[in-house]
Amino acid sequence: MKKRIFLLPLVFLMSCQDFLNQEPQTALTQEQVFSKLENIDPLITGLYTSWRNARKDRGGFMFQLGGDESQQGAFQVKSEPDQAGLDRYDGFLAPRNNALTQQWDMRWPIVTAAAKAILALQTNKEDENRRNQLLGEASFIWAAVCFELTQYWGDIPVIDAGKIAELGTGRKPLPMVYDYLVRYLQFAADHLPESQTDKRRVTKYAAMALLGKVYLYAPQAAGVRDYQKAADQFQKVIQSGKYSLVPKYADLFDPGKANSTESLYEFQFTNTYPDNNQTQWQMGSRALASVDGNCSFGGYDLMVPTAYAYSDVTKGGVWETGDTRKDASIRYDFTYKGEAPKLLSGFGGDELDPHVKKFEDPRTQGTMSFWYSGKNIFYLRYADVLLCYAECLNELNRTSEAVTIVNDQIRNRAFGGAIPASLKWASGISQDDFRTKMLDERMRELAFEGWRRMDLIRSGKFVSLIKARNNWAAQSNTIQEFHMRYPIPLTEILQNEEIPPSAQNPGYQQ
Amino acid sequence: MKNRILPVILLCLTTVGAFAQHVLKGRVTDQVTQAPIFGAQITLKSDRTKGTITNDAGEFTLQAPAGAVTLIVHSLGYKDAEVPVGNQTFLTISLEEDNAKGLDEIVVVGAVVKRENLTGAVSSINSARISQTPTNSINQALQGKVAGAYVVSNAQPGSDASIKIRGNNSIQFGTNPIFVVDGVIIDGGFNTLNPDDIASVDVLKDAASTAIYGSRGANGVVVVTTKKGKNGVGKVSYNAWFGVQQFSKRAATMGGKDLFNLRVDAYANAWQEKNPQGNRDQYIADSLVSDRSIAFGKYELDAYRAGKSYDWLDAVTRKGFQQNHTLNFSGGTEKGSYFVSFNYTDQKGLVQNSNYRRLSGRANIEQYIKPWLKIGTNTTFSNTKEKYVDGSVFSVAAGANPLLKIDTTGYYLKYADIQNQDAYNPLRSLWITGDNFSNRLLSSNYININPIKDLNIRSTVSFDITSQQTFWYTPMTTGQDKRNSNHGKASQKKTLYNNLQWDNTITYSKTFGDHYVSLLGGTSIQLNKYDYNQVDAFGFPNDDFGYKFLGGAYSKDKTTLSSDFVTTTLASFLGRADYNYKDKYFATATIRYDGSSKFGANNKWGAFPSLALAYDMTRETFWNVKAINRLKWRVGFGIAGNQNIPNYAFASLYRPNYTNNSVTYVSDGRLGNPFLHWERQKQLNVGVDLSLLDSRLTLTADYFNIDNDNLLMVRTLPTTTGFTNTVSNVGALNNKGIELTLGAALIRKKDFQWNANFMLSSDKNKITRLYGSTKAIYNKGGYTGVEIQRTGNLFLGESLNSVYSLKFDKIAQQSDMERIKNIDFAGRTVHPGDIIPVDKDGNGVINDDDRYVVGNLTPKFYGGFGTDLTYKGIGLNLFFNYSYGLKRLSGFYEGLMSSTGLSAAHQDLNRRWTPQNTDTNVPRALYGVPRYSYGDTDLGLQDASFLRLSTFTVSYTLPRQVSQSLRLDNTRFYMTGTNQLLFTKDKGYDPETGDGYPNAKMITLGLNVTF
Repeated sequence: MKKRIFLLPLVFLMSCQDFLNQEPQTALTQEQVFSKLENIDPLITGLYTSWRNARKDRGGFMFQLGGDESQQGAFQVKSEPDQAGLDRYDGFLAPRNNALTQQWDMRWPIVTAAAKAILALQTNKEDENRRNQLLGEASFIWAAVCFELTQYWGDIPVIDAGKIAELGTGRKPLPMVYDYLVRYLQFAADHLPESQTDKRRVTKYAAMALLGKVYLYAPQAAGVRDYQKAADQFQKVIQSGKYSLVPKYADLFDPGKANSTESLYEFQFTNTYPDNNQTQWQMGSRALASVDGNCSFGGYDLMVPTAYAYSDVTKGGVWETGDTRKDASIRYDFTYKGEAPKLLSGFGGDELDPHVKKFEDPRTQGTMSFWYSGKNIFYLRYADVLLCYAECLNELNRTSEAVTIVNDQIRNRAFGGAIPASLKWASGISQDDFRTKMLDERMRELAFEGWRRMDLIRSGKFVSLIKARNNWAAQSNTIQEFHMRYPIPLTEILQNEEIPPSAQNPGYQQ
Repeated sequence: MKNRILPVILLCLTTVGAFAQHVLKGRVTDQVTQAPIFGAQITLKSDRTKGTITNDAGEFTLQAPAGAVTLIVHSLGYKDAEVPVGNQTFLTISLEEDNAKGLDEIVVVGAVVKRENLTGAVSSINSARISQTPTNSINQALQGKVAGAYVVSNAQPGSDASIKIRGNNSIQFGTNPIFVVDGVIIDGGFNTLNPDDIASVDVLKDAASTAIYGSRGANGVVVVTTKKGKNGVGKVSYNAWFGVQQFSKRAATMGGKDLFNLRVDAYANAWQEKNPQGNRDQYIADSLVSDRSIAFGKYELDAYRAGKSYDWLDAVTRKGFQQNHTLNFSGGTEKGSYFVSFNYTDQKGLVQNSNYRRLSGRANIEQYIKPWLKIGTNTTFSNTKEKYVDGSVFSVAAGANPLLKIDTTGYYLKYADIQNQDAYNPLRSLWITGDNFSNRLLSSNYININPIKDLNIRSTVSFDITSQQTFWYTPMTTGQDKRNSNHGKASQKKTLYNNLQWDNTITYSKTFGDHYVSLLGGTSIQLNKYDYNQVDAFGFPNDDFGYKFLGGAYSKDKTTLSSDFVTTTLASFLGRADYNYKDKYFATATIRYDGSSKFGANNKWGAFPSLALAYDMTRETFWNVKAINRLKWRVGFGIAGNQNIPNYAFASLYRPNYTNNSVTYVSDGRLGNPFLHWERQKQLNVGVDLSLLDSRLTLTADYFNIDNDNLLMVRTLPTTTGFTNTVSNVGALNNKGIELTLGAALIRKKDFQWNANFMLSSDKNKITRLYGSTKAIYNKGGYTGVEIQRTGNLFLGESLNSVYSLKFDKIAQQSDMERIKNIDFAGRTVHPGDIIPVDKDGNGVINDDDRYVVGNLTPKFYGGFGTDLTYKGIGLNLFFNYSYGLKRLSGFYEGLMSSTGLSAAHQDLNRRWTPQNTDTNVPRALYGVPRYSYGDTDLGLQDASFLRLSTFTVSYTLPRQVSQSLRLDNTRFYMTGTNQLLFTKDKGYDPETGDGYPNAKMITLGLNVTF
């Protein structure tokens, strides 16, 4: 009896180490995830999901607030001062702005995870084809997210997992940022397949189109703006013959006709949580939500078109008579089941003004809340490629070729395939006229699809057009040139020693 | 028996005769219940062979020699008493109940330790004091009774009170102490224990006492010992109480008329911001109060005009009836003992439909098989059934529009025509069913061997197994269902907690002349397993089957399945040495070496030593201060640990998620930290136990100083790291304080006794170091998860419990406008009637740099005091608890004060600023214009000091003759009022329990019968 008891601690000690090693049973550690392609693959699909999710729900529209085509609903402006700052360009648009901090914070984990995948894939020794394809995808996602970040914030950290000691997490000058964007997208264009059956995954042509956009949108200071290189990329996409405009503009927003020939890449959603996108909840009208929670054009007025974006040319707006894109993009009529809804007490008063229509999901009508709206959201559309290509041609002094593309393809489709001569752009217009008209044409074609803020920034008309067209910015009258860039979030500055307060964007330093 | 004469015995001596005699008579009773004690041995101290035992009336007769005689009274289950006879002929001796069968012994990690040898800071309370508060929660029973323990009760049925020992010693992890029930370490679920089964609770407060628990002792240890059978005739005891509970306070929210006027004012002021020259009265008449109102719905105008105001809260709440019954059987012989009890408790919640029911049983059995072999078990089983109501019922009803008629018409409640999709109609929400069934087996089983004299080997295997089933059904008729388009949602969750503990100890104890030595060595391992699975199914043809028929769900694509399995382990070696010399000098040294699975491969093990010394001066031969009969000094130093961090924090985890028809791996946002290690607290405790005037006055005082130099916390990371947070050892914290317990026996007469006690605790913490050169770590949260919060921020040199916000300067008056016209209020409007914050740095810009540490949520001191009065069979007990100098943030009150009449509003808004009423701190009403609110400045900081009559009890014990004629030992009736009075300036529901749910008060009627 005694002997056994004395042996006990020895047995005990020996078995202790095993006993104390308890690994997670329903999750993988970082080492496990990056150790083999079999695990990196679902990690990359996870990155697609995170990237996609940045475009859903309320957060997905933050960069579209404060524009010249879209602004916040009045009730939102009254009830959410921080978010209202994005339209008012007032003191709330500051480093502490939560709405922006959230956007910043949700993007960096995608970038760093993509960077880790890139490093892991570069050292992986498994199937080379599959590895390069995955590497292309990780590079694309890295570049797509960083492109957005650098467009809105300027200098940003360059996260290269292989050079983390060298590069750190401080802000890096634009040439370095854009150098990475170009290299990563070039790699993606070289190694991605021409098409993907899994529509979540990007293709060679999406990479080319984005690379073209990078050459076109890059600020001068980045040193890579190059209309010829941009045009080359767009031209390759066009010449591939894989893409064409769908005949009817409204079909683009028919959920039954998703992933059409016009789509280079669209974010894939469904009506089932967590793959729905709640966009209609944000875009619809509260007046309808009060009538019926399952009305497919009800919602909560987060973002509405500016008067400029919903009015006709004759009323100082953007729409020409006969443009089919107008009614496909904007809802003017709120009659529901034969009844015109009433404005309700207590709200902002603009609930029955024209609303964004592109996110309405008729599949929810009558059966489920518009919270389940889940149509795909466009990222890269062939029409955008054509417009960008035309822009490049104009900059390369090939204006008449550019006009032909706009007239024969974009505008012809817009006016139902039979554009009257009176509405065609004159082939002899000046380079500068083309630029001005192009800015409106892009609004008509691509309204609420997420490119407008970048277009305004590169056009140099950011302040003037927003002040003229955005109701809240006009009221506040405080918008300035420095607002073209967002403030680096306070929480980043407080916690990232490599971004000291002095590294804040101009105008926001406290 | 030798060293066990405790000076804390309370004697009641009554002189009956004035001259000495040879025949002594007397009676022995239980100190608390006054019940006679049968079978007590009375012996002469001078000659222990001479003696007698008491009869069933507790009476005895003894032949005693003339002169100075001292009696020793001994009865199992009670502390021995030494009674000087003097010249009395009839003695009334009351014995203090001892808490364990082994007299002054308690079980500490599988080893039996003498309570007296716990040289550190330990507060003990016995069953008599526990039973003073009729409750089914142990923590509640401890409230205010243990110096240094801060107990916060919770009025929701079945929810437990929280307890914190010696303030904050850790930031986020495990601020609760561990509970050790008959040697089994349990985490949570203390409310399944029946307080009636508890013999004693010992709260171990300093490292000298907790070091034996090593890695888990940092936040104190509560040792619970359950009752054992007593040697003698078998006993049956029945305790029952019935109570009626109601809310102790409701928020003073505005009725319909005031709310109407507030909204009119808020709209009119907003309109005037834009139309400074406009005709305000005209605007009100045309646009606000007419039928074309833009501010009111038709239903509101109708209610207002009809003078109606609706109380939604009243519609969903009720009085809560409670009852509790305990029946126990106990007895024993010299060879063994048994204690078997049954308990039934039923608690109806204050919110309709909520209910808590518990059925439990216990068997504590101990038996000598051989003279050297003893086995025993302490086993309890409980079966709990809870009915939940949806959490929104209370909060939505509390915030409902008093102009909205109470009915089930709407799916959502509204103000004006704004149907708030978060405000589910609470009457409909009551249709949601939530059931929780839980079974728990808590069993500690030991074998005890004495192979040779003085050597004791003990092995204990314990199980703590809880199986829990939670079911929800949200019918189609609710707002929750409508909003989510579920067409019925059924959820089932099954959880199993399986904790195993195996302790082995060897103890050698010996007395060599005046020296007593005890050595203990042992091992302990713990295996904690947790797993669950959950199904949520959506879409049902009807609501008839509730949550019971998952197969009937048709929205298969919405079905969600989830499950998890988690295992954590701990392995320990422990050693302890006790030494005492003539009960005068005491020394205890312990060491524990712990390994935990929660840390990375190289940081699993930690050592936790302690040393405690004590010195009882009154045992010195030179001691001649008669008035002081005990003066014991104690000093202890030790290291305690904390390992209460999230599981697997050492690794960065990627969790599989199912989305768009495939599985993806996504980081959970936490950066793994393989360098994580224990929190180590260096604790110093200095204390004194003083007892004066024949123990009529007792004082225990302790001072502690705790340095925690590896503070664990979840630190948010800049997201450029790729993660949002990590668990790390971030800094150092100092916590020091004092504790004082005073007891006084003011009157000690045969039929009249009056005791009073007073407790005071104070602690103060300060962050002394943060990692690197960091001076502050901010706590982000809020709506978007990224706002700097007012609490939870760490500032070097400040308390953990600091409140960080702008400071309220004043309410702007017309005369201030010139002064502030150039200040940048970051987009906010500041016009007369609005809040002006202090521009701390005077730079003309109000931003985060202008935040101050405006207050501290730690009280300056807190505690309780009480009094016991017994006159013949009538008893009166009052117990107060208090807290002084603490501040509190009440988001609830701030919300009510920020109302513009489109949400529930506090009546204090009737004192709001208007051009006529400018001498006020309440800002004007203003709708839809951004400005500083109550919560943006320290204006909302509450002075939460309070004094509470925590319990009062009036009791009556039947006279012995009456009891006996009914063949009962003891019969006692009582009435207790809980939380009947509260004095505070706090504006929320309760300064202690906060604002989630109001506190409750209760009147209880109870009965104890023993035979």
